[in-house]
Amino acid sequence: MSAMRKGQAGTGVEQAAIGTITVLWVLGVLLPILSLLVISFIQGKGLGFVWAFSTKAYADILVDFRIEIVLRTLRIVAAVTLIELLLAFPFALWLAKGLKPGWLKSTLLILLVVPFFLSPAARTIVWRSILGSEGLVNIFLAQTGISPEPVSWLLFSEFSVHLGLIGPYFPSMVWPLFISFSLIDDELIKASRDLGADAFTTLRHVVVPLALPGIAAGLVFTAIPMLGDNVASTLLGGGNVALIAESFDDLIRAMNYPGAAALASLLVLAMLLAFLVARLVLARRQASEGGIFAEMQA
Amino acid sequence: MTDHKKGRPLRRRSVLKALAAGTAALAAPSLIHHSIRRAHAAPGTIRMMGGPTVALKDWSQFEKDTGLKMEFTSFNVDDVGALYNEILANDAGERFDLINTLAGVQKPMVKQGQVAQLDTSRLKNYAGIADSVKRSPVLYAGDDKDWAVPLYYNADSFGYYPEKLGLARPPEALNWDILLNNEKTLGKASIDGDNIALMIGGMYLKDRKLAEIADPANMTASEVKTAADYMIERKKAGQFRNLWKTYDEQIANFVNGEVLVQRCWEPAVKDVKGRGQDVEYATCSDFHINWMHATSIPVQAAARENLEEIYRALDWFLGGSYAAELAVLRGYTGSRMDLGLEYAKAAGWPADKIAAVEANITKVKTKFLNPNFWIGGAPDDLAAHDAEMARFRNA
Repeated sequence: MSAMRKGQAGTGVEQAAIGTITVLWVLGVLLPILSLLVISFIQGKGLGFVWAFSTKAYADILVDFRIEIVLRTLRIVAAVTLIELLLAFPFALWLAKGLKPGWLKSTLLILLVVPFFLSPAARTIVWRSILGSEGLVNIFLAQTGISPEPVSWLLFSEFSVHLGLIGPYFPSMVWPLFISFSLIDDELIKASRDLGADAFTTLRHVVVPLALPGIAAGLVFTAIPMLGDNVASTLLGGGNVALIAESFDDLIRAMNYPGAAALASLLVLAMLLAFLVARLVLARRQASEGGIFAEMQA
Repeated sequence: MTDHKKGRPLRRRSVLKALAAGTAALAAPSLIHHSIRRAHAAPGTIRMMGGPTVALKDWSQFEKDTGLKMEFTSFNVDDVGALYNEILANDAGERFDLINTLAGVQKPMVKQGQVAQLDTSRLKNYAGIADSVKRSPVLYAGDDKDWAVPLYYNADSFGYYPEKLGLARPPEALNWDILLNNEKTLGKASIDGDNIALMIGGMYLKDRKLAEIADPANMTASEVKTAADYMIERKKAGQFRNLWKTYDEQIANFVNGEVLVQRCWEPAVKDVKGRGQDVEYATCSDFHINWMHATSIPVQAAARENLEEIYRALDWFLGGSYAAELAVLRGYTGSRMDLGLEYAKAAGWPADKIAAVEANITKVKTKFLNPNFWIGGAPDDLAAHDAEMARFRNA
């Protein structure tokens, strides 16, 4: 009886906890997003609103240069995320499977956390002294005779924005991959090798499929915060590379709240679509792997 | 509820409050804190919110002259949206005795009933301020009433390297072609990354009679489009190395050798000069950009028991001590530079500091006599300016 009562009490606590978290989630996450949606369909007028349904904010946002800004943002985010994956994949694999536990591994893991404690502006601004007209790269190019004149596209260009985004988001890609690789049973890798598979075949048919959830998480954790980054474009783009985050700042500064809400709603919609596509791909992949295992068992 | 009827104006404040209602429970600690803070408004202390350049390094002279303590809260008043939020949604008037803004920004707040009308007879230094300043379009609402006092003002232009560009030094006048339309400075010029860039474009076009623009500081949608088209043309020609957004970026552009000429704030040139660089702040023959910082009493403060102290503090800002201190610290012109010079001499300041004060008197006689455009913080059609600025930045 007492065990049963304990179980019931436990269920009661669990239900209360779930209820509280749900309420907090609705208030803290869902309500602001719904507010965004509502505001995006209200008419702005000076410092106030007019309570009338309007799609004007969307019409204002969906103009040629804003669409260009959105597309440029998506292109840069996609490119940098891909670069991050290419850089982080071998590094995380080496960290998880190639490096034995010890001081080096601990140090590297700690170093991966350090960027989260630094001001985004402070870690980005250093690129100016490296890429600037009188920066380290241009001094090197001039002294070696490669380019007597400063190379201007190194800074305040898409190149510098790409470069400025790589560093801050590298840990966001490495961590999920590292965890995913660490969870792969070493015996599976050994079995693959014992069955005659070379390193590449093992990577392709064992490691990558098993690390797929980590890869998906890495892509999400890297790309989504990067969409809202305004530090790299402001400090390294120098007004020559307009990204979507700056558009938010500008719209809010101009008190165009319906416009900012409309832009944010479109971004939330784009993220939901990307999430759904990723989920479908993963589900299809899991279904096909399930089929293979079913055949093997038969 | 009547607010919610279709077509009826709904104040942003009420919408924000309604939206916030759902999260009121989460905000409970700050609400409690807010009420405690209101309850403990201390007499003998002036609580002021304002731009960082308003603040002095040391308020001891204020305390000595007025017998009051200064509790200054710095706020980025250039961010007009955030400032309006602070005043309208966060009830800044409940927490501050004086609110400083860019002159022009206070006008919509007057319409919203957020600003107390000034009784200028309680300010002994007010009458001596030049009418051209008191009745400047950014300060005066045209209603024969006074809502804000001018704290300081300046005639802005651009900084440049006279030696490297082979140009004369001030007070010899230059013109804005050096920044906007010059082969020598192509790709070595920088300008504001906000609406002021478009206003400068508008001023240039108006001055050169290249376009019909009534007021470049407050353009209509079609006027601002014309100005943006011109600035986009110059950007595409490669005139601008970058667009800056902060004071630090202005300094970095000079120090890192990115620019030869830059639209910037006068203190930036002062700062870079202090680092040993040969930079000057231009005096222009064609036009200057005039701006002002204004200070007002929030309507909530007018009902408080320390109103006499608030007026005493406000009058001190119009006096000689503040004008002289600010001229040396920032190179800005106070409302009463005549009192500033008197104060500096009476206090036995060294010659270089007195010269800095006198330079501001000369500035009024030179730069402010040239064609000028007063810019306020917020043009009437802010949305059009914002959209065109985004187009310019994207070009």
